Amino acid sequence: MGTDSSNSHQPAAHYDRVHSAWSLIMGEEFHYGYFEAPENPLERATAALTEQMLGRADIVAGDLILDVGCGTGRQACDLAANLDASVLGITTSGSGVAAATELAAESQVDGARFERRDGTDNGLASGQFNVVWVLESSHLMRDKRSLLSECARVLVPGGRLVLCDIIRKRDIPFLEVRSRREEFSTLRAAFGDAHMEPLESYASAIQELGMTVADCSDISAPTLPTFSAWRSNVVAHEPALQDLLGHQGVNDFVQATHILESFWRDGTLGYGILAAVKKP
Amino acid sequence: MGTDQSRARAVISQFLQRTNKSVDGMTDDTGLWGDGLGLDSLEAAELSAMLEDELGSDPFSAGGEMPERVGDIFAFYEAAPSE
Repeated sequence: MGTDSSNSHQPAAHYDRVHSAWSLIMGEEFHYGYFEAPENPLERATAALTEQMLGRADIVAGDLILDVGCGTGRQACDLAANLDASVLGITTSGSGVAAATELAAESQVDGARFERRDGTDNGLASGQFNVVWVLESSHLMRDKRSLLSECARVLVPGGRLVLCDIIRKRDIPFLEVRSRREEFSTLRAAFGDAHMEPLESYASAIQELGMTVADCSDISAPTLPTFSAWRSNVVAHEPALQDLLGHQGVNDFVQATHILESFWRDGTLGYGILAAVKKP
Repeated sequence: MGTDQSRARAVISQFLQRTNKSVDGMTDDTGLWGDGLGLDSLEAAELSAMLEDELGSDPFSAGGEMPERVGDIFAFYEAAPSE
């Protein structure tokens, strides 16, 4: 990681490369944690973030759910197994589809299936999903309007969109990007080609699509302890991570967590969650 | 084309190669953003720094209007050649 910057500009290629390493660092849920107390274990915090999404999704048995950017497939499998829902997980990562499909088979979850599709142009029929679930994948899609438009299109009337992700909390002038480009480059090397937008821009885009925003919350504070938890896991799994990412890749990742932590603290970046309903 | 413009062209080619962007079909009218070269702010910052390293100044951080097309970069150096 970090030695081939070209791959960092291709989200799927980046994910294929870091998938195994991130599972060690982030755990099976593969996303930030929601720490009700800073000392909570990461596994509990990632489950709590999923709970935050579930609390806004109002999923009922029999619902058809689209998981956009399904990562390891863990959430899709859990949604299918625990809520008796049918879940289609989509990702542009080939290894992500393979890993998620394997997880569903190992877990004997029949209600979750996975396909390689682009969230900004998913090719699915309109008006068929009760819930669209976008957990921390939108920052990897430059064209967020197309993502949100596709999410709205495939929902049934009255269906719900729930989304959480890293957000940009202030404008970052060009000269600041330039002067801090080493920090941004380190983030790109570690986390791929990410593009963060303000939470309000998601909300306004969703409203322009004719949906009603039911909730739009900044949850930066409870997600902040995620970075120290990731660093602890880097220490715990250092030999394996050196094999998977190389020395530079591990260093990039750790440095990136410090950069993000400072951005969280100075109000540059943070974390948001929102829910919206497609008008009946 | 003057020397500065040739050097700027070489820097742009080097940058595009490094960021795995195609130079096929690139003309002076090719846009820098969106459907053109598709630069984001970090990529523009990197190109800006490379141009300044090579030519002493660059059109992205000079304080004027941001360049929109590849040709705007060449026009900047035509108007203000490096020393």
